[in-house]
Amino acid sequence: MKPLNLIALLLFLAGATWALTRSEPVVREIQVAYFKAISPALKSGSALETKTRELLRETKHSKELEAEHSTIRSEIGRLRIIESRFQELEHENAELRHALDFKKATDFDVVAANIIRRHPTTWWQTAEIDAGEDRGIGIQLSVLSNDGLVGLIDRPFKNRSSVLLITDEKCQVSVRIEGSPEVGILSGQRGEFDNNPTLRLRFLSKNASLQPGQRVFTTGSGGIFQPNILVGTLISVERGSLDSEALVKPAVDLSDLGTVFVVLSENH
Amino acid sequence: MLRFNLSAIFLLLAAFLVQQFVPAFTGLSHARILIVHLVFLCAAVSVATPTMLLLAFIGGILWDAHCSLAPMLVDPEVYTQPTESLRFGYSILLFAGMGFLMQGLNPLFREGKWHFSALLTGVATFLYLAADYALISFVRGDFVISRSILRLMSYTALLTMLVSPLVFWLLYRIAMVFDHSLYPEAGNHKRRSF
Repeated sequence: MKPLNLIALLLFLAGATWALTRSEPVVREIQVAYFKAISPALKSGSALETKTRELLRETKHSKELEAEHSTIRSEIGRLRIIESRFQELEHENAELRHALDFKKATDFDVVAANIIRRHPTTWWQTAEIDAGEDRGIGIQLSVLSNDGLVGLIDRPFKNRSSVLLITDEKCQVSVRIEGSPEVGILSGQRGEFDNNPTLRLRFLSKNASLQPGQRVFTTGSGGIFQPNILVGTLISVERGSLDSEALVKPAVDLSDLGTVFVVLSENH
Repeated sequence: MLRFNLSAIFLLLAAFLVQQFVPAFTGLSHARILIVHLVFLCAAVSVATPTMLLLAFIGGILWDAHCSLAPMLVDPEVYTQPTESLRFGYSILLFAGMGFLMQGLNPLFREGKWHFSALLTGVATFLYLAADYALISFVRGDFVISRSILRLMSYTALLTMLVSPLVFWLLYRIAMVFDHSLYPEAGNHKRRSF
């Protein structure tokens, strides 16, 4: 081996060792610097992407849009009624809690954000939103859509954040099954690249009495997700010798996400 | 030579910007063209080993800066089996491995036979993804290799390989601008043939 190549190889190995031994805060600093450097290009590129997407949406068939509009209007009406009922209940609940001297209030503080794009990674299921630390977003906050749980904030930056989607294997959610005492840990499955990915629910009891179609909600335990957020619907149950597992269809269509809501805090 | 090497570094940095806007082909198992990897592979065969290692370091560290996930800070009593992540910086070693593989064809490339290198970019991309996936499985356990994973790796490698002539052409044009020859032995080879 040539002396120059040997020196280069030794320097390379030293550099690789340096990188591999960095602590989490240093990694975060490197990531912040990286995203800061590419953010001007991302901003202009994302704006172009958004305009293109809007244009494509506008060219959808008018009848389809009319039907959609009509459905949405009726849905808004229904939700308004529900909302007013919820406000009433919330008020009543707050009064009762106050009467019982509970320290917690029940209102959610959320920030609305738009999904800008999916990250160009091969194995991870992540997306980017157009809101960051300047709007109060921090690490590991829940991200919801109208339909249910989307994921959690993986890395917040100044004016954008990275969201780890529930379809990623790393995103674990403590959940319960509606109408059943069963609780388990839900996560994405490795190597699920179809358009309709499913989630795997683990650590259910061996003789869990479950039926396809039952809804899955967050338990609220574990320190990340608020309770009672819809996550998905049970598809099938696989019984093992020690425990049972189930496949769950996500409530949210992650391939067509627009606006999402980041839950800043549960308590005030 | 120095100016060409610097251009290769700038090209790799530019590839990171382009990569942000390369969509996944949903009809092809969500495969996408790995522009960063492709530029690195094409540059790796056209530069000397020290520059290739520098490119591998830059490419690997920036790729991990872009992709690595934060650790989940959760209650260990509820989440008893958290999903592990690969260490930041592991891509540097994978990039270097791919670079050395490409440099194996350096003698042919110097003779002007760039098409062998173009084919090897596909093989190297597939091997990179396979090694990446194997490492993830090793860290997280439960090695699963499904058809969709194989399809994703194959389509990604194929799509990436198909774009490689464009990157080789770009490198060739850059080399011309800086009066540097990518195929210094192409003429000698012809003379030997005759």
